[in-house]
Amino acid sequence: MAQSTIVHYLAIRNVVPSFVLVVVVWYAIRVDALRAALYGLAAGLCEDALSAQSGASWMIATCLSALLASRLSRGFFADSLPLAAGSTILATLLRALCFWIAMALSGYPAGLGLLHLHEALAQAALNAIVIVAAILVVRRYDASPA
Amino acid sequence: MTIFSYRDERRLFTLIGIIIAAALLALLQISAQRSGATSPISAVAGSVIEIGETGVAIAIRDARVFGSNVLALPSLERQNAQLRARNLALIEENARLHELAAADAAESRTQPIVDLYHGVEARVVGFPPENESRAVTIDKGYRAGVRRDDGVLAADGVVGRVASAGPFSSSVVLVTDYTSRIPAIVQRGRWWGIARGNLGSVLVEYIPQDAPLRAGDVVVTGEGRSFHSGVPIGVVKSIERGDATLYQTAVLKTAVDLGSLDRVVVVTR
Repeated sequence: MAQSTIVHYLAIRNVVPSFVLVVVVWYAIRVDALRAALYGLAAGLCEDALSAQSGASWMIATCLSALLASRLSRGFFADSLPLAAGSTILATLLRALCFWIAMALSGYPAGLGLLHLHEALAQAALNAIVIVAAILVVRRYDASPA
Repeated sequence: MTIFSYRDERRLFTLIGIIIAAALLALLQISAQRSGATSPISAVAGSVIEIGETGVAIAIRDARVFGSNVLALPSLERQNAQLRARNLALIEENARLHELAAADAAESRTQPIVDLYHGVEARVVGFPPENESRAVTIDKGYRAGVRRDDGVLAADGVVGRVASAGPFSSSVVLVTDYTSRIPAIVQRGRWWGIARGNLGSVLVEYIPQDAPLRAGDVVVTGEGRSFHSGVPIGVVKSIERGDATLYQTAVLKTAVDLGSLDRVVVVTR
């Protein structure tokens, strides 16, 4: 709900950070691929329910990006900052690519590929900042004595 | 035989002196009294005593005030607390009344549209989660009579079209969305075109090349599925003409400020 109300006002040149994707990636790098995919599916479905004309595009895109994040985390510590940031960036780009492919197949007019690429890059940067900040905050609270 | 000692003699002279001084003072006082004037002795004594009396009166007054303040302190505290609470309540009520006045002003702007088109008034409550499309969510759905493809207006003109209607809310695709297409007419010369969303503005395409468009022309809706004719879409900002094309394109500035939408009216069919 915050993503569809409050976050809109944080837009920078029409690009908003995706707290939904940040949460999905954060979860996906800690669990196995199947759980990550299901979580991404559910999150994408919620976003599709709140969107105007996306159909099932967010569901597919978020599911695939969760799978990617889960696969990338194999062999790394789950609380690694570079892993989290890198996975978020790649997941954001993949998610945007999958989303707009699905939208194009649904009949969305062509011609905005470059704009969507720029928006995806900007959103990837924002999401990476958000996930790094969130992990640092959680670490600080975990480290402080009870 | 008793002999007066030196001491006794001094006492006697002192006594006589006192009697004589007292008599003189008495004569002075009596003389002043008889003449109606203030005797010097009274004047001096009165002045000296008056200073003292003033000082004592001030001290007594201050003591009384202090005492009464101390005694009144509990009730003053109560009064203060009551006044603070009342002040806070007044501030809240003032803010509430300001809000009511603003809401009433906003409502009065859309009420004529509601009356004219028998529309459904709604408020904008949400946006697309990832800002991927130019759309908003309103708080009325099909239970209020909203249907897909119904036109949505604001006080100043066209907002967009209902893309999907749930039971209690609906998604409205704004006129600036890339998928938005509305029949449009340039009001001055009645030239037809198609108003297409261009993310930040609206383009009116397929206007005949020979139409003498100019900046400032008002573009309104044509009669269509979603809108009645004559509703303002925007004002021409610039014109794009090609040398080898049949049509020209007008770039519009929308009539409605889509960045600050609050109250809209859904024109139900």
